[in-house]
Amino acid sequence: MSDATTTARQILATYDGPRLRIMEVCGTHTHENFRLGIRKLLPPQVDLISGPGCPVCVTPVGFIDEAIWLAEHGVTITTFGDLVRVPGTSKNLAAARADGARVQVVYSPLDALEYAKEHADEQVCFLSVGFETTVPAACLAVSQAHAEGVGNFSLLVANKTMPNAYAALKGSADVFLYPGHVHAITGTQLCEDLVEQGVSGVLAGFTAKELLTAMAVALSKAKEGKPFFVNAYPRVVKSEGTPAAVALIEQVMEPCDTEWRGLGVIPQSGLRLRDEYAAYDARKKHDMPVIEGHANPACRCGNVLRGEITPEQCPLFGKVCTPLHPVGACMVSGEGACSAFYQYGGNLS
Amino acid sequence: MTDKVTLAMGAGGRQTAQLIDEVFAARFNSPLLTADDAAVLEPPRGRMAMSTDGFIVSPSFFAGGNIGKLSICGTVNDLACMGARPLYLTCGFVIEEGYPLDQLRQIADAMAATAAAAGVSLVAGDTKVAGKGQVDGVFITTTGVGEIVEGAAPAGAKARPGDAIIVTGDVGRHGCTILLARDEFGIEADVTSDCAPLWDSVEAMLGVTKDIHVIRDATRGGVGTVLYEIASQSGVGVRLDAAAVPVDPAVGGVCRMLGLEPLYLACEGRLVVIAPKEEAPALVEALRACPNSQGAAIIGEITDDRPGWVVMRTEIGSETLLPQPTGELLPRIC
Amino acid sequence: MCVGLSAKVVRIADGMAMVDASGAKREISVQLLDDVEPGDYVMVHAGIAIAKITDEDDHEADEVMEALLA
Repeated sequence: MSDATTTARQILATYDGPRLRIMEVCGTHTHENFRLGIRKLLPPQVDLISGPGCPVCVTPVGFIDEAIWLAEHGVTITTFGDLVRVPGTSKNLAAARADGARVQVVYSPLDALEYAKEHADEQVCFLSVGFETTVPAACLAVSQAHAEGVGNFSLLVANKTMPNAYAALKGSADVFLYPGHVHAITGTQLCEDLVEQGVSGVLAGFTAKELLTAMAVALSKAKEGKPFFVNAYPRVVKSEGTPAAVALIEQVMEPCDTEWRGLGVIPQSGLRLRDEYAAYDARKKHDMPVIEGHANPACRCGNVLRGEITPEQCPLFGKVCTPLHPVGACMVSGEGACSAFYQYGGNLS
Repeated sequence: MTDKVTLAMGAGGRQTAQLIDEVFAARFNSPLLTADDAAVLEPPRGRMAMSTDGFIVSPSFFAGGNIGKLSICGTVNDLACMGARPLYLTCGFVIEEGYPLDQLRQIADAMAATAAAAGVSLVAGDTKVAGKGQVDGVFITTTGVGEIVEGAAPAGAKARPGDAIIVTGDVGRHGCTILLARDEFGIEADVTSDCAPLWDSVEAMLGVTKDIHVIRDATRGGVGTVLYEIASQSGVGVRLDAAAVPVDPAVGGVCRMLGLEPLYLACEGRLVVIAPKEEAPALVEALRACPNSQGAAIIGEITDDRPGWVVMRTEIGSETLLPQPTGELLPRIC
Repeated sequence: MCVGLSAKVVRIADGMAMVDASGAKREISVQLLDDVEPGDYVMVHAGIAIAKITDEDDHEADEVMEALLA
């Protein structure tokens, strides 16, 4: 085992500082921390809270209902695999597919555009979820469709951005474990600004070594008692981010207020297509009515996302809500906090 | 004969006989293959195992095999898992109208070659033709009878704490091959299916010891699903060493690209074997001497800790639970 | 929130690159990065390269730890 890993584990094992709440902003961090068994290595006074960074988990029920409305009106749905089993108000996309809807799982929004070009007789909609990391791929697909005059392609947009979510959540944790790939796009300025406001954080990568290192940095710095920010993922995240990606998002989309499942509306934390690209907005293109979804009222995904309860404290967890029959979105996505707790046994400690 | 399967070929008349003679009987070349309503056979000497399995795979041809090879391996391996030497197989075909005869011949060729390699006789068959669109290409069902080697009695409920867990080769290759063959995600990789008949591997193990507790073929759901089944049937815990599970690098690459877990991808030529720890090294050595199990490895042990669960020792030496299988494998982006 | 894949660029044409991750190959877009050449490593998400990286190795974590303890 390498030096960094050994040293980091020593730091975790000997931590004698104050009680610490570390928020895994990014769902992939939650997933990897479970998969690698990192939670088990943390001292008892350190809590890992699963945050809002699973795009599937924060996408409201109504979005799935909108996708199903499109599918039932003859539109071919192209989507990341993550969304297929997310429950809408009455059913999910897998059930819609069984009822005859065309639902195509794709690896990339660019593949969705290719599909549209190859199936000129179909109307093709890509379900655009995800944060700053994923948005550029969707914007690239739209700008290419625009440039090539592809007329049968659109996006159903529910993209979200992190800055105002950090602001909304800053009281929920002592340290943010910042999402490495979001900041690969946006850079580190926001994290630097948050330190000025007293919000600490560590930018983390995704390998075992990178996650252990980030945890060790968080614990060591926390002991010093003043706000800090460390980029522990410098091989991928540069301070300036990826300017061309930021410019592309700016060109194609604009900020709007948006609903986060469980968190409510966070002002200016969503994205929508700019008017120049209205022809690619599925809601406008297909004259979609306003659709409001209804989540199961007993589902406490919202409290889980705010780090207020652990998944096991939800009355549905593991009983009516399981990965095979998910009620809330946090149970559907492999990186959702409830799914990770269920699958990897939050009690394995 | 035309170059495509027609509904008339399934109507029971002369064209049906011609299809069976020209495509199947000529290839299966078995003296036991019946031209009557049922095969008449010598009974096995000892206890007998019997199994049936249906095969639908899209596409029906893939790197390393086709649905014909698969249909023989599947049933042969099911018998082998009970410690049974496969003796006789029957096969039923449902063929879509318009299916190319040339491909049907290739499927029959693969069935004949695989049956010969596994030492099993094809003794009876049935052919039906369904209208266009009523089936997807060709579906095959095989049923097999085998003779259980005296003293062998592996079963899913027999895993005991302290037993070693062996897998007979790298995991997830068949599932990965099919995923690539469907070409839904634009990924290319040099991966071939592990599809293979495994009786000789089981026979080699039974030559080492008859005291093998469990043998399972890790088909749908992969090795992970099989381990959960055994943990539940035997009421024991499973401790898996993640670093010891053999995975082909390209399979690993495809899985990382799509966010999938190789332990849940199907195998069609891999067994999970559970046996007393002291026998494990000799079993692995015997397996490695067989052509279809050269990559055999010990991947974990049975415990009395956390019955029903699979605990995985992770790459950094910590522990976690292996997630339970959840059905349809969906690539994830987040 | 975002599964990333580190992969090596095999060839490039018109902003699209063939990348290789342990033998798994796929075409992705490298339009958002400057100066990507065959032999470079990139971090891939949803079919586009989001960052150029030194290589597949995560040894930089060692340097982060050294800086922390210094």
